[in-house]
Amino acid sequence: MTLWTMVIKMSEGFGKTCAIFFLTLIFALPLGMVVALLRKSKNKIISNSVRFIISVLRGTPLMLQLLAVTYGPYYLFDISVSRNKLIPVVIAFSINYAAYFAEIYRGGIESISVGQYEAAEVLGYTRAQTFMRIILPQVIKRILPSVTNEIVTLVKDTSMAFTVSYQEMFTIGKQIANSQTSFLPFVVAGVFYFVFNAAVDFVMGKTEKMLDYYQ
Amino acid sequence: MKKIICLALAMMMLLALCACGEKKEEAPAAPEAVTFTMGIDAEYPPFSYIDDNGEYAGFDVEVCRAACEKLGWNFEVFAVNWDEKLVQLDADECDCVWSGMTILDSMKEAGYVLSAPYYDSTQVMLVKSDSGFASSADLAGKDVAVQLGTSGEALLADDGDLADLAATFNNVITCDSFLKCFTELDGGAVDAVFVDMPVATAYAAENEGFTVLNENLGAEQYGIAFRSGDSEMCAAIEGAVAELVKDGTYAKIAENYPDIINNLLFIN
Repeated sequence: MTLWTMVIKMSEGFGKTCAIFFLTLIFALPLGMVVALLRKSKNKIISNSVRFIISVLRGTPLMLQLLAVTYGPYYLFDISVSRNKLIPVVIAFSINYAAYFAEIYRGGIESISVGQYEAAEVLGYTRAQTFMRIILPQVIKRILPSVTNEIVTLVKDTSMAFTVSYQEMFTIGKQIANSQTSFLPFVVAGVFYFVFNAAVDFVMGKTEKMLDYYQ
Repeated sequence: MKKIICLALAMMMLLALCACGEKKEEAPAAPEAVTFTMGIDAEYPPFSYIDDNGEYAGFDVEVCRAACEKLGWNFEVFAVNWDEKLVQLDADECDCVWSGMTILDSMKEAGYVLSAPYYDSTQVMLVKSDSGFASSADLAGKDVAVQLGTSGEALLADDGDLADLAATFNNVITCDSFLKCFTELDGGAVDAVFVDMPVATAYAAENEGFTVLNENLGAEQYGIAFRSGDSEMCAAIEGAVAELVKDGTYAKIAENYPDIINNLLFIN
């Protein structure tokens, strides 16, 4: 197989890799915020159960979660397995990453000093206004480097989708590698991931610069 | 916190266990306009692999395609994750697993419908030609690699048929693909690879400096696995393959795969 055919084949899979990546971000970023707020809830039952869920999601391998989400419903409730593998894959990735994002958000929210809340209260801000207009903008600025970290990891984690036979780029690369007994597809895969991550780095770097308005 | 994580892990594992145990009856598919999805390991030349054009190819794929043509079925290929092939079969993602698959007693016990065997295989040791190893006895105290989830791994396991042989090795190393096993061998990390014969002979033919030690270890046969309750489908495929054998198509396909032609049961 020529290098060119290899690249063509793998770039077909790369579309699917991108699909996992963008859909996961779209769902996980807001979901993480919801989870973070529930985690900070004054209601002990809510905050503790959310805490438990987060520890399960962070404490078990993503590969296991992919299997559980894809095949669990079938074995437990006899719901047929989705023909479109993108659905279970994105669900698994989204809840997993939401757990990580939630903890990053919480770290950011808790880094804001109590004085700001008190000042906002004195100025007559409601709690929602305080959060949206004062706290959140600062939080976003502070957590951006950690979020970039997670996003870069996500790019590479998409390769896990091979567990459930979702034909993304790395799965195809692996198949070609073993069919042709050649390590070249892994090199190609490495280049794909690196270039994609370089783009992510660039975009996130620009975003950080854009939000750097107080310096 | 530890307890919580333990509990969560235990629950996950329970789920995985459920995945192994349960079976269910399937309504047999209507005979007309059937789409037959063949489950293959796309990493198993020469039975099923990706060819130079990036398409699924291999002996099993070609036979299945021809059989589906005979039956007037639509033919599709689904690349399974070999470690979970039976889960994926159960989950209806493919209608059979047909990919140089060794028939195991455990599959029969679990209720899968298995076709008549079509290929005789043995496990062989692939070693470097200059290593001087002439039999598996010479490998005492050496490191041997085997692919995860293959019958070779099962044979060398503590309760496997070749456990005594495995006990003489220094280490049995499991890799998740043949390519990695072979690379470990080439790179000197292991002294031998224990694999199915066709894979070893194909590799030794393509790459210089490797020798296949065939001692008829772990004789086994390849077959096709269907879900329990799909015996009609199995019979239809077997019938179509028998016709292919009769009209010579089967032999013609086999000619393209000289490494395996001598062990095909239907034409020898």
